[in-house]
Amino acid sequence: METATLEKVLEEHPLFRGMKEQHLRTLAESATIVRFEPGDVIFEEGDPAHRFYLIRTGRVALQLVSYRVEPFTLMTLEEGDIIGWSWLFPPYRWKFTAKALGVIRAISIDGRSVCASCDEDHDLGYELMKRFAQICENRVEALSVHLVAVEK
Amino acid sequence: METLQGILSAHPFFHELPTQHIETITGCVSNVRFKGGDVIFNEGEEANHFYLIREGKVALRIHSERRGPLTILTLHAGDILGWSWLFPPYLWKFSARALEETRAFAADGKCLREKAERDHDLGYELLKRFAHVVEERLEATRLQLLNVYQDQ
Repeated sequence: METATLEKVLEEHPLFRGMKEQHLRTLAESATIVRFEPGDVIFEEGDPAHRFYLIRTGRVALQLVSYRVEPFTLMTLEEGDIIGWSWLFPPYRWKFTAKALGVIRAISIDGRSVCASCDEDHDLGYELMKRFAQICENRVEALSVHLVAVEK
Repeated sequence: METLQGILSAHPFFHELPTQHIETITGCVSNVRFKGGDVIFNEGEEANHFYLIREGKVALRIHSERRGPLTILTLHAGDILGWSWLFPPYLWKFSARALEETRAFAADGKCLREKAERDHDLGYELLKRFAHVVEERLEATRLQLLNVYQDQ
């Protein structure tokens, strides 16, 4: 897909609503179209995290995996949702495992390149951080609710 | 006597923040003190501040329909408390209660939000730091959740 087309797709995504054209262009330059088949692991807990994903179609299970327990699904993400923010901070490793529950069409964005752009352009940095901090906050809330529900 | 600005710039949260931003933040900060048992804020209330804990202990709690308030995290000196002032609807997602005599700096979130919106250099620096705090909180909650599941 051409950068211009990707830019259009990004513009229509709720995460980027209201962002300036030049910022969308910067993001589009770091974006690629990806597809996953049902059962595919999009990323695995502990692996290096350099990208994030915007789901265009399909459902993704965000799972907690550990050597002592069976993986369990914390939440299911779908069209319009974002997966991945571990590329933002050291140690840049995935904290969760993401698994495709059906055919997934998504846009994958190179987080390192986005970080570099944010450091250069604080207008872009401000807009993006605001959005990612909020996603992260929603996840904290979801996990806390989950924790309260399961704690003895 | 140490100045407020001096103390803030020495705090890890503001590490490497340019002096002019520290000055701006100092203008939004006041000293507060809570007694053991004091409610600092309640879930659902309007979120206007964040706190840098200087001394003491604060329990972050979430309300469970089934079992009433449950502590999900205890915060100590050096920790940051509160980020719900950053995002609409600007309501606290958790409750915070002082577990002992607690001294903190309270920063007026609305004042900072407006300044960040006008000055994206400040906004980027602040949001980057808060996104990190939120991410660390997410990690803490994730580990708690893993513990609970491993014990079962």
